[in-house]
Amino acid sequence: MDLRETPDEQAFRAEARAWLAANVPKEPLPSFDTEAGFALHREWEAKLYEAGWSAVSWPVEYGGRGADYLKWLIFEEEYWRSGAPGRVSQNGIFLLGPTIMEVGTEEQKARFLPAMASSKEVWAQAWSEPDAGSDMASIRSKARLSDDGTEWIIDGQKIWASRAVWADWCFGIFRTDPESSRHKGLTFILIPLDTPGVTVRPIAQLDGDTGFAEIFFDGVHVPVDNTLGGVGQGWSVAMATAGFERGVSLRSPARFNVAVERLIQLWLRIGDPDDDTMRDAVTDLWMQAEGYRLHTYMTVTKLLDGGTVGSESSLNKIFWSEMDVRAHELALQLLGPEAERMDGPYESWVDGFLFSLSGPIYAGTNEIQRNIIADRVLNLPRS
Amino acid sequence: MHFAFTPDQHEFAAGLREMLEREFTAARLRHVWESGTGHDAALWARLAEMGVLSMMVPEADGGLGGDFVDTVLLLEELGRAAVPGPVLETMTVGALALAGTKWAAGIADGSGPVTAALLGERYVPHAAIATVYLGVWDREVHAIEDPALADAAIEGIDGGRRLSALAPAVAAGTVLAVDPGLLIDAGALATSAYLLGLSSRMLAIAGDYARDRRQFGQPIGAFQAVKHLMADALLQVEFARPAIYRAAWSFANDTPERGRDVSMAKALASDAALKAARSALQVHGAIGYTWECDLQLFMKKAWALAPAWGNAQHHRRRVADAVLGPR
Repeated sequence: MDLRETPDEQAFRAEARAWLAANVPKEPLPSFDTEAGFALHREWEAKLYEAGWSAVSWPVEYGGRGADYLKWLIFEEEYWRSGAPGRVSQNGIFLLGPTIMEVGTEEQKARFLPAMASSKEVWAQAWSEPDAGSDMASIRSKARLSDDGTEWIIDGQKIWASRAVWADWCFGIFRTDPESSRHKGLTFILIPLDTPGVTVRPIAQLDGDTGFAEIFFDGVHVPVDNTLGGVGQGWSVAMATAGFERGVSLRSPARFNVAVERLIQLWLRIGDPDDDTMRDAVTDLWMQAEGYRLHTYMTVTKLLDGGTVGSESSLNKIFWSEMDVRAHELALQLLGPEAERMDGPYESWVDGFLFSLSGPIYAGTNEIQRNIIADRVLNLPRS
Repeated sequence: MHFAFTPDQHEFAAGLREMLEREFTAARLRHVWESGTGHDAALWARLAEMGVLSMMVPEADGGLGGDFVDTVLLLEELGRAAVPGPVLETMTVGALALAGTKWAAGIADGSGPVTAALLGERYVPHAAIATVYLGVWDREVHAIEDPALADAAIEGIDGGRRLSALAPAVAAGTVLAVDPGLLIDAGALATSAYLLGLSSRMLAIAGDYARDRRQFGQPIGAFQAVKHLMADALLQVEFARPAIYRAAWSFANDTPERGRDVSMAKALASDAALKAARSALQVHGAIGYTWECDLQLFMKKAWALAPAWGNAQHHRRRVADAVLGPR
């Protein structure tokens, strides 16, 4: 065990820090859940890509810099500390990208990964359906082969597709065996959102922005080459994606360390130093964020040593999402009457609070995560 | 940066775990409780023979010369088995305080159990069986052989941790050239690691019961109310784990953050152990509330050790001082 950074890691950190200091926009960009904000975030992603920072852990041939996961964590720390914009490309780079690398064909890797890394193509996920939320295996949207066998013809509806209004492509699972039920007979398909028959209808979120959408598929034709993984293998491909999302990549600890650091600064500035209850609560948050950081470093070391991360990744998702809500709740408590204003100097805390509330819901609700932990980590009997 | 143990460190811990699972059953632990000694001399000899007790004793004193990173997984295994007696005190606080003294060899060969009470504790654990007692007078650490105890017996909640009050006038001991703060951190960290193993054991016991016990025609572990209760406890235990391992590294490398990191470990470990105990009891229902149920042997250890060497709140305040600045 050695918790010091190697000279190589230190040099990498210094390089990332210097580039970010010189390039991060001085003024925060508008939310990427708005049209203008989305476009500006895409420009920022292109800039990151040009400098080789958009997908640091990816192989160089696909637009990354071949850094190991530890360096990715270091980059994330520097990234969030620098106040850089949120990653509008996250569904692609952190979710779909690793899945394509794992199960995709060589043609798919070459076709999709570089455009994903540069955000020339931004991806939306299309998992949920109106009647398939937590019970994702009850998916009904279907895809059937064309008579000549070269195309999928897709019909159905997906919902809660983040940023689908402005994204270029979506990925999701569709029922390709009409006789099948539950986890069988599903296939993972990649679909350009400008294909005829695709209708994207924005849905205003809790914060009023149209950050997510419904996607309707009405006889949509896509080449069978857009199948990711085998026909009928959609569930296991999706689980690989979702496991990665919950496990390591979706919410790097740095985001929370920075949020908690801001909370501490807020406490030092406006907190009542005699309020021991609040002081203890802020300290608990610091310990949680630090605990999450350490937990991630331990997980990443295990991966680098050749180990695997399985269902225990569900622990992470509950931990970071509840910690994020708690940090924002505390900030709003500290802010008192200012916390009611959506336009004041503390707007980012109010926005952040609303955003944090989505964490325990998306990527599999925390109740579903608790079931997974109970079934697969604690080995309790299935319900 | 490499946040992992070596294969040797894992192997040693696995060997200890195997031995304890085979030889130190819950029935044998219960027997220790019933004996009233709070100690198992045969087990102690076995731990000495394996080199567990001497891990942190310097090589010059006949020990293995390991550091806290070498020791932390062993402490976790000792906690998993709820090993009675002054084991964590002897292995860590004792080994550090008595290095280079005539008592060090007794730690390594098992002949000299050590106990310590450095925070002004009113009741000293394991004093009746320890050959050396470490206490603090005027900010100096004293080693006292076979300290005189007050006559009145004290009944503690944990039968593997017998409590005593010292006699009103304790003879002055040998002053040791060691920082009491270092030893207190060692005791708090060792207790954290022990609590980590203990917490995992309580959840394992509860898991066994939840798979076995049937109500409404199915194992109770199939009910979401039970699943979520246990998942939440596991969450707290698993996020305490890296904090404890990190504190061991900070201790071994004497970093400036040692005190903060140890306190974070103890705050999280104490809270996690109390949560694990409470959850495991609830999963058991009425049977968990009986004397016969082995769970009590582990819960009571958690209730004794969560406050020992500073409770969660004490250590939270110490973290607060480090992170937010002193009040």
